[in-house]
Amino acid sequence: MKINPRHYPVIIIAAYVIFLLLGILLGFGPERGDESHGKSALMQLALMTLETLL
Amino acid sequence: MSSIARQKSFSLSKSRRTIQWLVVIGTFVLGLRHIMPGEASRGGSFDSFCAFGGIETLLPYLFTGHLLKSTNLLNFSVLLGTLGVSLVAGRAFCGWLCPLGAIQDFVAEWTRKLLGEKRHVRGKRSQTILPLRLPASIDRPLRYAKYIALIWIMIASLYAAFPPLREFCPVRSMFGLHMTTLLWVSLAVFLAGSILVERFWCKYLCPLGATLAIFNKISPIRLVSDSNHCNNCGRCDIECSMGIKNLPVNLDGPECIRCLECLDTCARDGSLTIQLG
Repeated sequence: MKINPRHYPVIIIAAYVIFLLLGILLGFGPERGDESHGKSALMQLALMTLETLL
Repeated sequence: MSSIARQKSFSLSKSRRTIQWLVVIGTFVLGLRHIMPGEASRGGSFDSFCAFGGIETLLPYLFTGHLLKSTNLLNFSVLLGTLGVSLVAGRAFCGWLCPLGAIQDFVAEWTRKLLGEKRHVRGKRSQTILPLRLPASIDRPLRYAKYIALIWIMIASLYAAFPPLREFCPVRSMFGLHMTTLLWVSLAVFLAGSILVERFWCKYLCPLGATLAIFNKISPIRLVSDSNHCNNCGRCDIECSMGIKNLPVNLDGPECIRCLECLDTCARDGSLTIQLG
């Protein structure tokens, strides 16, 4: 399927933002001061799903 | 005719240049923000916004559960964003979103202007001496250096306290605003290299580019050449900042940064297209 070149910049910026937000939602967000490396709810859900599957 | 005129009124090159300026200004603001007191209270150091920092601290994190100093969990998110772009469109991050790539493009353009090129004619080889195009016998082996650098950094990260590239990183020397002697040297080498050879850092030394290179083979969005339309005029080869030879048959190669300058330069409609799948 052909993609209009006009949409290309939008696609790559959207991909960057979506995956960046996904990372932050997974718990890889900025830490401030003495915050510990706690796992986010989304990360715990992902790990539980993985454990169930394996 | 009007539809062609309408299509040509949109310039990928101009869109890319606008995005590159925004990325450079954004990175500069980030650097400026982090020379203020209380750096840690602003979500981590300048290094924690680096995609390659995520690669540098990945192995120590997996093996010991600890991150390298000056890195942060945010590095993994920035890396994920970069890998996301690559999963979708290959090395497009290098061509569109990397601040160092943008600086190199600007330096090459300014160098040509300083050396007398009044107006760049697309698809026509520049008459200025610089930036050079190295002969294939030198250029090709040098391109492997970035893969060696990547392997060395990954191994060194297991034994290091700070990210191994940190003291030489051109991003820190360009935008970090915390200069050391080594960073001044790195900045000088980076700028001199970019004046001498277009996209010098991307071609020969960038370990992030080496990581993303594999995605050119697997990304669903790719450039496709139609041999029925292409007349091998070579305009795309001339415009390629990565110096890829015979571009229409090397579009999936690891060196392509998906900047789409070739597509913007191509004079024959349908010869180069962006396709999904």
